[in-house]
Amino acid sequence: MKKSAIFGLIVIAIAIATIISTYSSSSTYGSFSDAKKTADELHIVGHLDKGKELYYDASKDANYFSFFVKDNKGEECKVIYTGTKPQDFEKSEQIVLTGRMTGNEFHASTILLKCPSKYTQDKIEVTEFKAKTASI
Amino acid sequence: MDIAFQGEHLLPGNIGKVFVILSFGAALLSAISYYFATTNTNKLDNSWLKMGRIAFWANSISILGVGVMLFYIIYNHYFEYHYAWAYTSRSLPVYYIVSGFWNGQEGGFLLWTFWQAVLGNILIWRAKSWEKPVMTIISFSQIFLASMLLGIEVFGARIGSSPFLLLRKAVEAPIFSRPDYMSFIKDGQGMNPLLQNYWMVIHPPTLFLGLASVIVPFAYGIAGLWQRRYKEWVAPAISYGLFAAMILGTGVIMGSLWAYESLNFGGFWAWDPVENASIFPWLTLVGGLHVLIVYKNTGHSYFTATFLVLMSFVLVAYSSFLARSGILGETSVHSFTDLGMFWQLVAFIAVFLAIAIYFLIARFKEMPITKKDEDTYSREFWMFVGSIFLGLSCFHLILVTSIPVWNAMFGTKIAPPIDLVGHYNVIQASFAMVIAILTGFTQFLKYKKTDVTRFFITTLLYLIFAALITALIIYTSGLYKLHFVFSLVMFGSIYSVLANGKVFSDSLKGKFKLAGSAVAHIGFALMLIGALIAAGTRGVVSKNETGNLGIPNFDKNAGAGDAKENIMIYRNEPVKMGGYTVTYLGDSTAEPNHYYKVNYKRYDANGKLVEEFLLKPNVQINPQMGLVPSPDTKHYLLHDLYTHITALPPNAGKPAGSQDAAAHGEEDDDKNYEEPIPHEVAVGDTIPFRDGYIVLKSLNKEVQVQNIPLTGSDVAIGAKLEIVSHNKKYAAEPVFMIKNKSVLDFYRKVDDVGLKLRLSKILPDKNKVEIVVYQQPRNKKPWIVMRALDFPYINFLWAGTIIMIIGFLLSISRRNKELKTV
Repeated sequence: MKKSAIFGLIVIAIAIATIISTYSSSSTYGSFSDAKKTADELHIVGHLDKGKELYYDASKDANYFSFFVKDNKGEECKVIYTGTKPQDFEKSEQIVLTGRMTGNEFHASTILLKCPSKYTQDKIEVTEFKAKTASI
Repeated sequence: MDIAFQGEHLLPGNIGKVFVILSFGAALLSAISYYFATTNTNKLDNSWLKMGRIAFWANSISILGVGVMLFYIIYNHYFEYHYAWAYTSRSLPVYYIVSGFWNGQEGGFLLWTFWQAVLGNILIWRAKSWEKPVMTIISFSQIFLASMLLGIEVFGARIGSSPFLLLRKAVEAPIFSRPDYMSFIKDGQGMNPLLQNYWMVIHPPTLFLGLASVIVPFAYGIAGLWQRRYKEWVAPAISYGLFAAMILGTGVIMGSLWAYESLNFGGFWAWDPVENASIFPWLTLVGGLHVLIVYKNTGHSYFTATFLVLMSFVLVAYSSFLARSGILGETSVHSFTDLGMFWQLVAFIAVFLAIAIYFLIARFKEMPITKKDEDTYSREFWMFVGSIFLGLSCFHLILVTSIPVWNAMFGTKIAPPIDLVGHYNVIQASFAMVIAILTGFTQFLKYKKTDVTRFFITTLLYLIFAALITALIIYTSGLYKLHFVFSLVMFGSIYSVLANGKVFSDSLKGKFKLAGSAVAHIGFALMLIGALIAAGTRGVVSKNETGNLGIPNFDKNAGAGDAKENIMIYRNEPVKMGGYTVTYLGDSTAEPNHYYKVNYKRYDANGKLVEEFLLKPNVQINPQMGLVPSPDTKHYLLHDLYTHITALPPNAGKPAGSQDAAAHGEEDDDKNYEEPIPHEVAVGDTIPFRDGYIVLKSLNKEVQVQNIPLTGSDVAIGAKLEIVSHNKKYAAEPVFMIKNKSVLDFYRKVDDVGLKLRLSKILPDKNKVEIVVYQQPRNKKPWIVMRALDFPYINFLWAGTIIMIIGFLLSISRRNKELKTV
C-alpha cells in the first residue's frame, strides 16, 4: 500500500475518533427530574423564580449563592452556586445551568444568563458565569 | 400619514445611504467588468479592464464616503440615528468615538469592506497579469460585503442592515409619533463599558484586516485554477498568505490580551465560540502555507495546499456567520444577535464554498498532482503531515463550536460538553503536541532526501536534551499534576524551541533567509509553553479559608462545590491570603470608574516587609449593565498577580453618606451601629473596641463648634481622642456643650474604622468623662469581595507572540525577494 494511503487512513481514523469523543462528551439539555435520575452533570434551561428568596451574604460566605429556578417543564428546584452573585441576576429572562443534583439541591458549576436589554427589545445580552476553575 | 419631524439631521444619513448603494453598484460593475476582462480573448481590448478598475475605485471612494458620513453622525451626536444612539453618548471621550464606529455589526462590515478595498487597490497596483482574475474574485466579495450594509427591502425581505437607520424606525415607541420627539432624546445609550478600552480602538481594525486579507490567497488560488496557471499562483499566494496569517494571528492574540488585561474572564482564552471561530481560518491558512511551500519546493501536495487555502476564506465567512447570525445563542458570551441577515450570511458562505468546490472538481484532472510518493525521510512529507494536523485541529474546533449549528440543521438537542474547557484543552493539546514536535524535527530534514543516520543522531540528541529540560520544568511548575497530555505538549514545545534554535543559530552563520521559519516556530512554541503553564498551573491566591461558615457538608460535593475562589474583606481589616497580607483601603472615583484600593504586603519568614504594592481593580457602575468589573494586575517578569472585584455591597457606587444621614433622623443613624457602650474614662485612659483601642488624650475647653457662639454661662468641652486600629492612627474630637441651660452633644464619626463617638457626660466629681462608643456591625462596614489569581510565566505567551510576528515578517521579506511578479 502506498504511504499516502496509509496516512489517509490514519487521518480518517483520527477524524472519526474526534467526532466520537466530541459526541460522547457532549451533554444534554434536561430538566430537574432528569437531573434527579442521573449522577452526571447536565444542562438545564429555565428561569428564575422571582418570588422566592435569593440568598447571598458575603459576610457569611462569599462563595455561596442560592436561588430557585423553574425549569421549562415547570418543576422548581433550589440551586446552589459556589461563587458570587452575578450582576443583574434578578433581571434575567432565562438561565442555563450546568451541574448536578445533590440531595434535593441542584449544584450549579456554571450559570449562563440571558438578560433583556433595557432599551431595545430585539437585543439580548448573554453573560456567562463560571464557578469552576478553568483547569487545564 | 406623514409627520414632519423636527430637529432631525437627515442629510448625512441620506448621503451615506447613497454611498452604500453606490458602493454596492460599483462592486457589481467592477466584478462584471473584471470577469469579462478575464474571459475576453482579444488581448488588445483593455476597455473591460479599465471599467473594472474605475468601478473598483468608485467602490473604494463610496466606502470612504460611508465611513465619513457615519463618523460625522457619531461625532456630532445625531441621536436620531440608531447607530449613534445605540453605541455612543455625549459623555464618551473622543478617542472612543472612533471605536464606537465599529461597535455595531454594521461598523464591523464597513471595516471589513474598507480593508478589502485597500487590499484591492494594492492588487490593482501590484498584481500585473493576475489583476483581472484576482480582482474578479475580490470585487465579487465586495458585492457581498456591500450588500450587508444596504438595509433595503426587496420582495418583503430585508437585505443588509444600514448603519444609517433612523432611531424612530429601529425602535417602536409611542414617542416617535410626536413631531418633536428629538427634544426628548438628549443622549445615546453609550458604549458598553467593557468596550471603553484602548484595545477596542486597535483590536477590531487589526482583526478585520487579518480576516479581510485571507481573501487574497483565496483569490489567487481560484485565479490559478480558473486561468489554468496552476503553478504560478503559488508564489504570490505565499506572500499574501503569510501577511494574512500574521495579521490575523496578531488580532486574535490582541483580543486575548485585552480579555486578560481588562475583561473579567479570569484568563486569556475561554474557548468561547466566537474566539474559536476567529482561529478557524488561521489554522487552515497556516496549514495551507506550509503545503504551498512544499509544493513550491518539491511539486508535492498540490491538492492539499489549494484546498486548505480555499477553505480558509470559506471559514472566514463561516466564522462571521457564527458571530453574527445569532445561532450561537446560549453557548456564547459575546456573539451578536441576529440582525435579520441569517440567510444572507449563509448565502455568503454557500457561494464562496460553491466557487471553491466547483474549481477543485472541474480542474482536478488537470492539477499538477504527483503520482510519486514522498520519501519518508523528507521534509515535504512531514510538513504535509503537520499541515494535515493543523487541519484536524481546526476540524475538531469546528465540530464542537458548531454544536448549535448541527442542532439547527438536524433538529437535535445536543448540549456542548459539560467541562467544555477541559474537553477543548485535552483534545487541542493532543494536536498541539504533534504539531510542535513536527515543527522541531522536520527542520532537521531536507527536501527530497535526507541522510538518515545523521538525521536520527541529531533528532535523538535534541529529543533527550528536550526531555531533560521538560522534566525540570514540569517538576518545578507542577504541571505533572495535570492531564499527562499537557506534559507531552510541554515536551513538544521545548523540543521545538531547541530544534528551531539550532536552525536559527545556523542561519546566522550563513543562510539568513532560512531564519524566518525558525523564528516563527520558536515564537509559536513559546506561546504554547506560556499558555500551558499560565492556564494549567494558574493559582488562586484568594483561597477562602475563613468564610465557610454555616453551610455544612457543602465542600464535600466534588465538582460543583470546590471553587472557593472569592474572598471577602472589610475595609482596613488586613486579611492573610496566599502569602500576602491584603488590605482594602478604600475607594476613589474617576467617572465612570470606581477604583478599589487593595494594598498587598508580603513579609518574609522573619516578619520583615519584603514588598508592598497597591492594586486598583475597578468597577464601572453602568445604569444599563449594572456593575462591570475590570481587573488590575501586578506584573512580574515571571508571573502576574491578577485581582478583580466579584461582589460589592448593594449600595456600592452611590455617593457615600447620601443614603441615610440626610433623610432620616439621629435615631435611624444609630440603627446602623451596634448597641452603644458607655465608658467612664479619665485623661490618659484607654477604651478597647473590636478593631483596636481609643485613648483619651486630653480635654479641650476652648473648642469651637462650627458657628455656634458661646455666651457667658455656656460650656463647651471637646474630648481629644486618638483611635488606633490595625496600626493606623485616627483622631476625633466629640464635643459636649451646655448652651442656654440645655445639654447638647456633637458626635464625631471615624468612618474608616466604623466608629461613632459621643462625649455624653462630664463627671467632675470623679474627674472623668463618659465616652459612648458606637461600633458598626461588621456587615455594615464597607467591604469588597474579590478574587486574586496568579498566572505564572504568562509573559512567555506574549513574548512568543512577538517572536512569531518577527518570524512572519522575516519570511514575508524572504518570499517577497523570491517573488518576480509577471
